[in-house]
Amino acid sequence: MTAPAPARTRPSDEPGGVAPAIRKPPRALRLHDFPGIAPVAVFGIIFLYVPILITTVYAFNDGDSALVWRGFSLRWFGEVAQNTNLLNALIVSLQIAVVATVVSTILSILFALSVEQLRAKGSGIATAILTAPLVIPEIVLAVATLGFIRMIGLQPGMLALMLAHTSFCIPFALMPVRARLKSLGSSYFEAATDLGASSWQMFRRITLPLLVPGIISGAVLAFVISLDDFIISNFLSASGATPLPVFLFSLIRRGASPAVNVIATLLLVLAIVVTTITFLQSQRRSKQHA
Amino acid sequence: MSTQLDDRTGVNLVPVSAAPRHTRAPGRFPWPWVAPALLVAALFTLGPLVVIVVFSFMSRPPQGGGVIYEFTLEPYVNFLFQTDFLGNTTFDPRYLSVFGDSLLQGAITTIVCLLLAFPIALWIATRPEKLQNVLVLLITIPFWTNLLVRTYAWMLILNDNGIVNSGLNLFGLPKLELLYTPMASQLGLIYTFLPFMVLPIYASLAGFDFRLAEAAYDLGARKSTVVRRIILPLATPGIVSGVLLVFMPAFGSYVQPVLLGGGKVLLIGNLIASQFGDSRNWPFGAALSVIILIVLMIALIAIALYSRKSGKKVEISL
Repeated sequence: MTAPAPARTRPSDEPGGVAPAIRKPPRALRLHDFPGIAPVAVFGIIFLYVPILITTVYAFNDGDSALVWRGFSLRWFGEVAQNTNLLNALIVSLQIAVVATVVSTILSILFALSVEQLRAKGSGIATAILTAPLVIPEIVLAVATLGFIRMIGLQPGMLALMLAHTSFCIPFALMPVRARLKSLGSSYFEAATDLGASSWQMFRRITLPLLVPGIISGAVLAFVISLDDFIISNFLSASGATPLPVFLFSLIRRGASPAVNVIATLLLVLAIVVTTITFLQSQRRSKQHA
Repeated sequence: MSTQLDDRTGVNLVPVSAAPRHTRAPGRFPWPWVAPALLVAALFTLGPLVVIVVFSFMSRPPQGGGVIYEFTLEPYVNFLFQTDFLGNTTFDPRYLSVFGDSLLQGAITTIVCLLLAFPIALWIATRPEKLQNVLVLLITIPFWTNLLVRTYAWMLILNDNGIVNSGLNLFGLPKLELLYTPMASQLGLIYTFLPFMVLPIYASLAGFDFRLAEAAYDLGARKSTVVRRIILPLATPGIVSGVLLVFMPAFGSYVQPVLLGGGKVLLIGNLIASQFGDSRNWPFGAALSVIILIVLMIALIAIALYSRKSGKKVEISL
């Protein structure tokens, strides 16, 4: 996603806009289509959606069982809204997510603005350290963090959760900021320097406002990643500090239930809202740059 | 700051000295500002990894979890051998087969995801721009949906009274044991990680310049040749990145084997979890984690060698 997409030419367009003198052979008429690709792709996208849509439909079930349809109702949404354990778990999750998001976003901005000053090798290593949580299987990071906090004398609980979440949120908060910085180029900053901006003025009046779209996308992604995390949270949670996904897992272990369907649906709605927000943002941005 | 001395004629009368080599780019911070983020990552990513490696060479306390700081190779020996109470050590393939099963489930997941994701990514990349954006959005929504939710959805489908079995019932067919099987766990892994393969491949194909394909057709290439000789090489960095992003989490998966495989599927991920949970054998759990990290290292080295050889930069990002 680095280089701007080249202008798409219609297959009939010749460079220079001259009408083609030679008629193309028929097999080249539909350049964009490769036989057998479309059905697989459409199947794949349907495959991604059918299971989560089924869950959503059953969230509106009136019956007491997760799977026996007894007509449409919002009953279970009401029941879930009154479940104190669930609400407590949600509050815990929100507290952790807010702290992790704010801290990881601030750290990411500082890092993105200074990493290029390191020599090539240094910046590569620094980036690798920060993005390691993307490729290390989460279970390894979870048990390792558990061992680590025991070693430094912490106990599982809120503080441990907040620190661990902040750490694995950094790559997500960082990526959009770096991408934004890259797309800005250097002209704005050079202009500000030429006009005599001090470092602080530059940061306050130029850099920060220009980075806002990247910062918002990054913060939103970090927030969702923190709110959704289960495996690491599972190993660091304590009684009184049970995040929502850990609570949800304990419900699921007891088998399918209408309550789980409802929580699942709400989490799906969250994903849709967040993805759409970031999508619309990037649309606006590409319009501005056009 | 010679720029301020320029006159307005456009002719620069002041000899501009070459910029010193280490000036900061305007608007950037000095390098020490990388420290806060690195410190957090060092403490909560690198730190734990170092600790887990150390733990894997330590002894078990007489009871309970945790470790005693006495060096031993026992956890690694345990992986391959078992010692009975008479002190006879015999080769024990059980853990090795768990490792093999994990590799196999990871490999199957990766291959199936690749076979599905390449056509999806190629198809999306060849749609008109507006539609492309919507389709990418469609792929990212499942990507950002909670892992438990996506796994649970299959529990609803494969359940004894689930969608599939209800359907079979309608046709008077007998119920199938679908949930809590290795098959279910495998299906869950493929479903969960498919977007992780589609997105990087799409990223490497997005903005594909169709004049390349046109040129190939003009030179008499067939469609299959264009895919093989032009599109595939373009997609390779994305494929490599996708393979890593799918294989590693699938190989070390925990949620899908537990929820969909039930008690019947033991992969290295849930084996590690149990060592830190009920079994309370932290050093052995740590040794298993180190084995996963070694597999990750091998994968990363392979990718580094590939990018050096092909001269293509593989970025592991989403």
